[in-house]
Amino acid sequence: MEIIKSLLKSQNRKGVILISFLTLVLLLPIIFLLGRIFEFNNENFFYLWDNLLIDYSKNTFYLVIITAIFSLLFAVFPAWLISTSSFYGRKFYDIVLYLPLAIPSYIMAFTYSDILSYTGPMQTFLRDNYPQISNFFNKDYLQIEVLGIIMALSLFPYIYTVSRVSFSLLGSNYINVAKNLGLSSFQTFYKIILPLSRPAIFSGLFLVLMEVLNEYGAVKYFGINTFTTGIFRAWFSMNDVNTATQLSIILLIVVFAVFFIERFLNSKYRYNYKINNNIQNLVKSGFYKTITSNIICGIPFVFGFLFPLIFILNNAISTYQKIDLSNLFLLSKNTVLVALLTAISVIIFAFFVEFIRKISKGKAYGYINQLISLGYALPGAVIAMGLILLFTKINSLFIEISLIGSLFVLIYAYVIRFMAVGKSPISSSFDRHPETYDQTAKNLGAGTFKLFQKLHLPINKFALMVAFILTFIDVMKELPITLILRPFNFDTLATQTYEYAIEEMIPRSSVYSLLIIVIGSILLILLKKTISKSWPN
Amino acid sequence: MKKIIFGTILISFFLSCVNQSKKSNEVNLYSQRHYNVDKIQYKNFEELTGIKVNVIKANADELIERMKNEGKNSPADLFITVDVGKLFQASEMGLLQKITIPSLNERVSEDLMDKNGFWVPITYRSRIIVYSNKRVDVSELSTYEDLANEKWRGRILVRSSSNAYNQALMSSMVANLGIEATTKWSESIVKNFARDPKGSDRDQVKAIAAGQGDIAIVNSYYIGLLLSSEKEEELNAGNAISVFFPNQSKGQRGSHINVSGVGLAKNSPNKENAIKLINYLISEEAQKNYVSNSYEYSVNPSIKPDKIVQKWGEFKRDTLDLNLLGKYRQEAIRIFDKTDWK
Repeated sequence: MEIIKSLLKSQNRKGVILISFLTLVLLLPIIFLLGRIFEFNNENFFYLWDNLLIDYSKNTFYLVIITAIFSLLFAVFPAWLISTSSFYGRKFYDIVLYLPLAIPSYIMAFTYSDILSYTGPMQTFLRDNYPQISNFFNKDYLQIEVLGIIMALSLFPYIYTVSRVSFSLLGSNYINVAKNLGLSSFQTFYKIILPLSRPAIFSGLFLVLMEVLNEYGAVKYFGINTFTTGIFRAWFSMNDVNTATQLSIILLIVVFAVFFIERFLNSKYRYNYKINNNIQNLVKSGFYKTITSNIICGIPFVFGFLFPLIFILNNAISTYQKIDLSNLFLLSKNTVLVALLTAISVIIFAFFVEFIRKISKGKAYGYINQLISLGYALPGAVIAMGLILLFTKINSLFIEISLIGSLFVLIYAYVIRFMAVGKSPISSSFDRHPETYDQTAKNLGAGTFKLFQKLHLPINKFALMVAFILTFIDVMKELPITLILRPFNFDTLATQTYEYAIEEMIPRSSVYSLLIIVIGSILLILLKKTISKSWPN
Repeated sequence: MKKIIFGTILISFFLSCVNQSKKSNEVNLYSQRHYNVDKIQYKNFEELTGIKVNVIKANADELIERMKNEGKNSPADLFITVDVGKLFQASEMGLLQKITIPSLNERVSEDLMDKNGFWVPITYRSRIIVYSNKRVDVSELSTYEDLANEKWRGRILVRSSSNAYNQALMSSMVANLGIEATTKWSESIVKNFARDPKGSDRDQVKAIAAGQGDIAIVNSYYIGLLLSSEKEEELNAGNAISVFFPNQSKGQRGSHINVSGVGLAKNSPNKENAIKLINYLISEEAQKNYVSNSYEYSVNPSIKPDKIVQKWGEFKRDTLDLNLLGKYRQEAIRIFDKTDWK
């Protein structure tokens, strides 16, 4: 009620109606899923609850903790070093630490399990050259701890990106004051910089956690039963889609509870800090610091990108005779097509919502904003389910032709799933620009459209690019939605990789995953360039 | 002007998304099979008949859910799975219609066929035991039931219970032995596990090579794939093990098998073409393709398996009504959970 009242009170009626309509369009499939909650199958639900879910939840919690700790380690320290000190190799790491994002986490998991396995290169090398110690390394590596670290290696850039920006925005002012007050550089980091960057780091961590919660392929392969395994146990093994839906909605509620608790805790301490506008003096590093810096930045790069890349590249070369080039080209074309359409839709939508929020103000937009991001907290397969339900209804009411299986529905699903990814950089960019810009523009006689065209579009263009690239890469890696909703004869690089990997033909899958990584890496380097341009420090 | 051009391009781009393929000479497949051999089969069929084969590949349960919701509007003609349990489920849910194919029993072994006539098998695989050549003597092995024996404590490797092939095996145990005896069997076999169930079938073989366990329950065609691997180290792992077909002695029921099969969708819009494709898939030519590319067994008794598979020798298969592998699925899942088979 409160939302509706405040919506009605706000200044821009037309905008409000439009934005509410768009939000509804985005939420419709989720609303259809909610409808299923009432078709309650007590027996299966409580069966799962009693027998498995406690165990599954414990595993989930443990996996989340391990991934969180390691992704923080891999992200925060390198980001700090690169933002504040100059050392040999800094520029290189500044570019490459984004790259692990190009490798889908399920590919990372399959690749590492192959690298570490008995027939993999590590153990083979040891057996051939150092037989006396090879036995020590002959272990079962399919463990929850190993998976946590692998997930951290592929997901840490989410935290790295935001910490890097936050650290450079804080900049030298705080560091200088802290030093004058006699704090060591560790104390400065721990007592000043880390608390000030907490909201940024948490927003990155939140994305990491959602990815872990939604992961299905890798956890299944490692034999680790998480909450998501429970969802699919209900669906695939017990043929009970309703229970699966109910479980995913519970997951959704938990995720949002965590999100709002953190919001609430943070809102108590509002950090209104002045953005660094001095050119930051990077602290020169001595010999030992250069070495430690290289180790700290090198580990996440080497293990998160270089090793898996070399392994995949090697596999791709060894199977090059079996590669069907025309097929490879077609799959790349499909992949780029869906990623492009989705990324464009997402940034138009997100920009529009943010723009109206900016010019209309009002509390309600805050709520709407959170609602739009809901899709990210749901497993892809469940979103796909919601869309099938929705379009079945539309079909029975309005039109004859089935839209399920058209590219339109596929893109619709991607947009719901990845809206959060695209919206967050645009949203924070809008927040960063002061109100005075709008007021000045209005005083100069600019109407809504002018405001949009002459002010907000240009000053947010970097954020739009960042949003575009992040969404593009995420769609390229996406699997479950693509599998369920794709049109006939429509394969992407991700689905082809998966089809070989699931049939235990990792080498054959390599060339397809390699292409995902290459396209992703090029875009990420572009992303880095964009970020450097928008924050020259 | 620029804006208008850009706008038109964008809009036409989006419109191009709504695909309206209204060709009549085609057949639409919802398939769980995604092997290279399938591509070859469909291509051959297209060349032979001029009928275009359209495929969507996904998990069987997802496809069932999609078909169920699409209802009358479903474009699906054929539903293809690698687990008979899902075909049974689809037929129970009323998603399939009966298929009549003349002289089917001349080309397909009778025990592999659906007694109710809703689906046709296209290949079959056996869930077999592989053992370490070093640490196990073949005389130690006998039946699935024997895997519960204490002598296997800490020696058995197998993948997780969310795998459909394991679920089918457990269903066959329920069908053959009853719920109580199967629960006891499962309890004991779980105690004998060398490690928590995880990884793929191929990983179980690697784990034997690595010495983490001595025997593994795996699907026959994965062993075929492993033995034809491009990687030398994987071949070595494959050569460190041998294949054993359980329950072969006189009076025993034979090794557990599962079929990959095809069902005709209830609302199939291209029924004639669909029947033609089924006919093609069980033809000698297509069956030979399956055998040599994916190391599966042919449903046609006159077609011999691939050379790699032939080396394991012939075996007696369990002639249980295959629909029971679907019928007892729920019981099987509960036994897995109750006995803590992860």
